Amino acid sequence: MLELQNISKQFDQKVVLENIDLKINSGEIVSLLGPSGSGKTTLLNIILGLTRIDHGKVIFNNEDLSNVDMKNRGFNIVFQDYALFPHLNAYENIVYGLRNKKDTASAEEVREYIEFLELKPHLKKRIGELSGGQKQRVALARTLVTKPKLLLLDEPLSALDGVIKESIKERIKSIAKEFNLTTIIVTHDPEEALTISDKILIINQGNISQFGTPYEIINQPKNDFVKDFILRQLQIKRQNIYNLFGEKYA
Amino acid sequence: MHNAKPEMRTIFIIILILFFAFLIAPLLALFFRSFVTDDGGAGFSNYMEALSNNALISAIGNSIKVSGATAIITTTLAFTLAYAVNCTRIYQPLKSAVKVGILIPMLIPTITYGFAIMYTFGNQGLLTKLFGRNLFEIYGFNGLLIGYVIYTLPAAFLLIHNSFKYIDKKFIIVSKLMGDRTLRSFLNTVVRPLLGALGGAFVLSFILSFTDFGIPASVGGTYDVVATQLYQAMLGSIPDFSQGAVIAVLMLFPAVAGVILLNYLERFNFHYDKFSETELTPSKFRDSFFGVTAAIVLLAMLSVFAVMFITPFVTAFPYDLSFTWQHITGIFQSNDLVSVYRNSLIVAVLTAVLGTVITYGAALLNARTPIKGKQAVDIFSMITNTVPGMVLGLSYLLLFNNSSLKGTFLIIVLCNIMHYFTTPYLMAKNALTKMNPGWETSGELLGDNWIKTVYRVILPNSVSTVLEMFSYYFVNAMVTISGVIFLVSAQTTVVASKINELQHFAKFNEIFVLSVLIFLTNLLVRAVCDALQKRTAIYKK
Repeated sequence: MLELQNISKQFDQKVVLENIDLKINSGEIVSLLGPSGSGKTTLLNIILGLTRIDHGKVIFNNEDLSNVDMKNRGFNIVFQDYALFPHLNAYENIVYGLRNKKDTASAEEVREYIEFLELKPHLKKRIGELSGGQKQRVALARTLVTKPKLLLLDEPLSALDGVIKESIKERIKSIAKEFNLTTIIVTHDPEEALTISDKILIINQGNISQFGTPYEIINQPKNDFVKDFILRQLQIKRQNIYNLFGEKYA
Repeated sequence: MHNAKPEMRTIFIIILILFFAFLIAPLLALFFRSFVTDDGGAGFSNYMEALSNNALISAIGNSIKVSGATAIITTTLAFTLAYAVNCTRIYQPLKSAVKVGILIPMLIPTITYGFAIMYTFGNQGLLTKLFGRNLFEIYGFNGLLIGYVIYTLPAAFLLIHNSFKYIDKKFIIVSKLMGDRTLRSFLNTVVRPLLGALGGAFVLSFILSFTDFGIPASVGGTYDVVATQLYQAMLGSIPDFSQGAVIAVLMLFPAVAGVILLNYLERFNFHYDKFSETELTPSKFRDSFFGVTAAIVLLAMLSVFAVMFITPFVTAFPYDLSFTWQHITGIFQSNDLVSVYRNSLIVAVLTAVLGTVITYGAALLNARTPIKGKQAVDIFSMITNTVPGMVLGLSYLLLFNNSSLKGTFLIIVLCNIMHYFTTPYLMAKNALTKMNPGWETSGELLGDNWIKTVYRVILPNSVSTVLEMFSYYFVNAMVTISGVIFLVSAQTTVVASKINELQHFAKFNEIFVLSVLIFLTNLLVRAVCDALQKRTAIYKK
C-alpha cells in the first residue's frame, strides 16, 4: 500500500503541490488526471524519488521512503518518450538491467515477459525500426524485468494512435492484474483515465480536486472543476458519438 | 536528476583546476608582466614605450589593413561559393568538389601557404613561368593577402554554408510569386537572412588573419605585422619579455572585440523552426555564372598548392623537372626530420585523446548534470575562443618558464587543448543536449551508477561526435604554429615550427615534403574517422 501524507512542493516560490494526502491499495491502477501545469507530473516524480519533497511523507508498505534515493525505492517508470537506448536492439534494451543485478529475473521469466508482451518477432530490431506501440511494449518489458514494487507510467498512451491505444490500455490492465502490480498513470485525457483505472486522482492547481472511482466521479462530481473540465469533455464526446451512430446505439 | 553525484563533482573539480592552471593563471601572468617596469616596479611605462615605437605602430596599421582587405575578399568569395552550392542547380559533382576542395587548406600548416605562394607567383614560380612574367610583387602585402584569403576561406565558407541550411528556400519562390524583381528578391530572401553569418564571416576572417603567425613568417618580407613583431620581441636577438607581454595584450584586444561582435551578430541570424526542401527555379544564366566562378575560385586555390605536390618529386624545381624520389628518401634517411615528424604525431595524438576526454567531460557536465556552477564551463569556453594561439603560448612561456613543464610535450599538448577547446566543446554539447533527457534516470532505475550509464548509453550514442572531436583536435594540433612557436624546445620541435627553421637554410624541398606528410597524415585520420562515423550512423534512425 502506498501512502502519501500531506505532500507539498514549491519551485522558486511557486507552489506546485499542496497538501496531497491519499492511500493507494496494492494492485490498484490509479490515474493522476489534470490539465497541463496542474502538478501531476511533479507528483509522479515525487513518488519515483526523482524530485525531493518540501513537506510530507511517502510511505510504502509501512516504510517511510521520503528520504530514500530513487534507486533504492524499488519503483520503476516508463517515460512518455520511452527513453529506450537507440544503440541497442529491443532485446538488449529489455535485459539492460540484468547486467547490474543478475538474479532479479531468470532467463525463463524474461522469456515469459517477452511472450506476454508479444515481443518475440521484434527482439532483433533496432529501436528506430519499431513502431510506437512496439516501443511502448519494449519499454514496459525493460521496466518489468526489474520487478518493480510500483509501476509508474507517464502519459503512456499519448504518443499512440487509435486501435493501438486501446490494445495497450488492455495490456496495462492485464499487467496489473497478472503481477498484482500497483500502477500509477499520469494522463491529461479524462476518457483514458476513467476507462483504465480503478481510482482517479483529479488534480487542479496543485490540489486534490477529487479522488474516487470512475463511478463516483461521473455520478458525484465534487466541484465545478470536475464538472466543467472533466465531465463536460466526456459529454461532448458522447454527443459526437451519438450524432455519428444515432441515438439507438446509446 | 535532483542532485549532483560525487563522480560529477570530481570531474568538475578536475576541469576547474585545469582551466585555472592552464588558462586563467597564464593570462593573469601575462597581464601582470605587461605592467612590470624595467626597474621592477609597476606602471604603464611598457605601454608608453610600445606606443612610441614606430615600427610597432606601423605593424599594427599593416595588420589592420591587410586583415581588413582579407576579410572583404574572403567574405565575398565564401558567400559566392556557398550560394553556388546551396542556391543554384549547377552540376552536382562540382558542388561536391567545392564542398570538399575548399577544406583542403585546413589540413596544411599556414606557414606552408607562404612557400607555396612563393613557388607559384615568385620569380621562378609555376604561374610566373606559365604567364611568362611576374604577376605582382609577392613579398609583403600581396603575398599576405593571398595567404590569408586561402587560410580564412574554409572557415568563412563553413559558417555561411551552415547558415544557408537554415534558410527556407520557399521564401525565394514566394518572393517571385509576389512579383519581386531579381535584386529585391535576392536581398530579401538571401542576403537579409544571412546578414548575421556574413558579418560573422567578416569578423572571423579578420581575427584569424590578424593573429596568424605562419603566413607572415614565410611570405611577409619586410612588411611587418603584429604577429612578426611579437615573435621578434620574444625570440629575436634581444628578447624583451615586457614588450612581448604588451604586444600580446594589444593583440588580444581586437580578438576580444571580434568575439563580442560575433556574439552580437548572432542576433541577426534567422531561425526558422520548420523548413522544407524546395526545388529551385531553373536559371541558365545564374547557374553558368556561379558554376564558372566556383570552378575558378577552387582551381585558383588548388593551383597554389599544386607546387607543394610537384616540387618534392622533381630534381630541382623549376630548373630540372625530371622525376626523382631523392628528396623523399632524403627525409626518411634524416634522423632529425623523422624525429620531428614523430614529435608532431605524438603531440597530435596526445592532444586529440586528452582534448577529447576533457572537452567531452566538460560538455557532459554542462549539458546533462544538475551540478552547480556548470555555467563556468561556458565562460571558459568563450575565453579560449577569444585568446589567439600566440598570446596563449606566450603566456605559458611567461608562467611556466622556470617550471619542470618547460620544454615538455605536455605543455604543448595542454596549450593546444586550451587553444582549440571551443569547437569540440560545442560539438559535444550540441550532441549531448539533443539526446533523450530520460536516459540517466532510466539507467539509474535499471541499476546503473552514473558513470556506468555514461559508459553504456551516453557514450555509445555519441560515438560519431567523439570521432569528429578527435579528428578536429588531431588536425589542428598537426598544423598549428602560432600556438606552439614559443613552447617548442630542441627535443620537442614539431613539423610546423621546424618548417620555420628550415626556411632560413632555404631547404624548401624538405619543407614541402614535411608539409605533404602532414597533409597526408591529416587526410588519413579524417578518412578513418569518416569511415568509422559511417559505421556508427546506423544508430541514428
